[in-house]
Amino acid sequence: MSSDEYGQSVDAHGHEHHEVDGPGYPTPAAMRTESEREKTAFVMSLRVGMDVDGSDFIGVVDVDPDSDTYAELIDTVEMPNKGDELHHFGWNSCSSSCHAEGLARDHLIVPGQRSSRIHIVDAADPRNPTIEKVIEPEEVFEHDLSAPHTVHCVPEGKIVISMLGNADGELPGGFLQLDQDDFSIDGHWESDLGGMEMNYDYWYQPRHGVMISSEWAAPETYYPGFDLEDVEAGNYGDSIHIWDWETKEHRQTLSFGEEGLIPLEVRMPHNPEETEGYVGAALSSNIIRFWEDADGDWDWETVISIDDREHPDWDMPVPGLVTDLLVSLDDQYLFFSNWLHGDVRMYDISDTGSPRLVDQVWAGGNFGDRQTVDDHEIRGAPQMLQLSRDGRRLYWTTSLFSSWDNQFYPEIGERGSLMLKADVYPEEGRLELDEGFVVDFGDAPGGPARAHEIRWPGGDCTSDVWQ
Amino acid sequence: MPHTVTLEWRGGREATVDVQEAETVIDATERAGLGVPYGCLYGACATCTGRLLEGDLVHVSRPRGLKPRHRQGGYVLLCVAEPRSDCRIEVGAEIQADLVANPWK
Repeated sequence: MSSDEYGQSVDAHGHEHHEVDGPGYPTPAAMRTESEREKTAFVMSLRVGMDVDGSDFIGVVDVDPDSDTYAELIDTVEMPNKGDELHHFGWNSCSSSCHAEGLARDHLIVPGQRSSRIHIVDAADPRNPTIEKVIEPEEVFEHDLSAPHTVHCVPEGKIVISMLGNADGELPGGFLQLDQDDFSIDGHWESDLGGMEMNYDYWYQPRHGVMISSEWAAPETYYPGFDLEDVEAGNYGDSIHIWDWETKEHRQTLSFGEEGLIPLEVRMPHNPEETEGYVGAALSSNIIRFWEDADGDWDWETVISIDDREHPDWDMPVPGLVTDLLVSLDDQYLFFSNWLHGDVRMYDISDTGSPRLVDQVWAGGNFGDRQTVDDHEIRGAPQMLQLSRDGRRLYWTTSLFSSWDNQFYPEIGERGSLMLKADVYPEEGRLELDEGFVVDFGDAPGGPARAHEIRWPGGDCTSDVWQ
Repeated sequence: MPHTVTLEWRGGREATVDVQEAETVIDATERAGLGVPYGCLYGACATCTGRLLEGDLVHVSRPRGLKPRHRQGGYVLLCVAEPRSDCRIEVGAEIQADLVANPWK
């Protein structure tokens, strides 16, 4: 059975310990070894902030090398409005509901970061997704929330979205909960915000009753662009937050200070026994590890630091800007991108406190020798990452956020961004750019687009959580 | 009373649109299909940034996405802006990029 089809059966995935047909895989290893190779990708594709008079769209990219349309954009689902800034997205249901009867992984939840509009997309046919329902911004603002970001399905039939601002685009944000049945808004997920004002990404570990959230800034601060004055004024985040997953209360703030400015993506190991994880501090360009102590409090340390680099054309040293990271389904490798430098790195994390750099690929950016792939200019640099379930192919896109692209890689706003790929050899700890794979969103039908987050039908290492 | 707003893109394109009473510039440009960029539609995100070259244009809600230095420089958020006279406004995706430069370069 193809992994491009939803609702994998019990037989296909060896659910020996229960009799319910659920929407995911019983273990991370089952997803890694029993799913088939990805055949199509959903890619968030944007026109916001460009002189292209069109909507953002969900791009469907053919990633099946046996197909005649390999490495091509084979479908585009235009949003009904302009100006959304599609960014991150997620599933109605994943392996966290593996044992739940009657659920299928068949809908994508696709928020607009700027518009605060939330699209519910029927993705049962991975080659032809269709918009089923639209939650208009006014319905979101009624809950004094805006700027939807991370989407996770959670057990008990709910979907939780991190929201970065209040209805005016100021602080604090919070979490919006939707019902999986009819995609109606339940209200706020959290019962007590405690010390949380800023929000960004989150990950949860239901076996240990914990959720970890990170910080960007107020929408009114980061929306217009990155201003160092805002960093100096303390308007950007430097902390992560520990939540009680059961009571939905804020429990603890871990403040990193200068070591952890703008902590963005939060990733925990897929093994549900683990009580630790990593967050990428974009501006400080550090990977910070966090873990639960024996006494139940959480602690942290910086485990990887990317040094700023001198550049002849820049007045100040250039930070790496770690904008995305992910952990392979077997929890052996950590990958992350340095969007300003131009490399993607692969670390062995079998000793979680002492990551070991095993390989890196340079493509585009301010320091990469390679500035073209297959005769396409690389606009931008490695940014949003997605790994194949078997851990053998790493894909990425090169755009960060429309207004921030304009500052650092303005050519993306004129000619769009790209999707690229590297082959991964986990047995050898090696990573190699696939020079035969390039999807140039500059050639998208209707005009250039920015490409952002990537997901596979059937789930991936940044969508699924195990109970 | 409607006001005639002249839009100028840096590439040389020019267009005019009549903006009705209690209508924002973006409402009018969308009605006319002119493709002026926008995002949040409530003055926070600055995707719709334009630069007022001539005329009287007022923000009808707070343009949160602009800092004082931007407002002094003539920058306006067209999703929350209504003309009070005929105006000339510089528009297009490039105008937003004026607001914040690369801080390290």
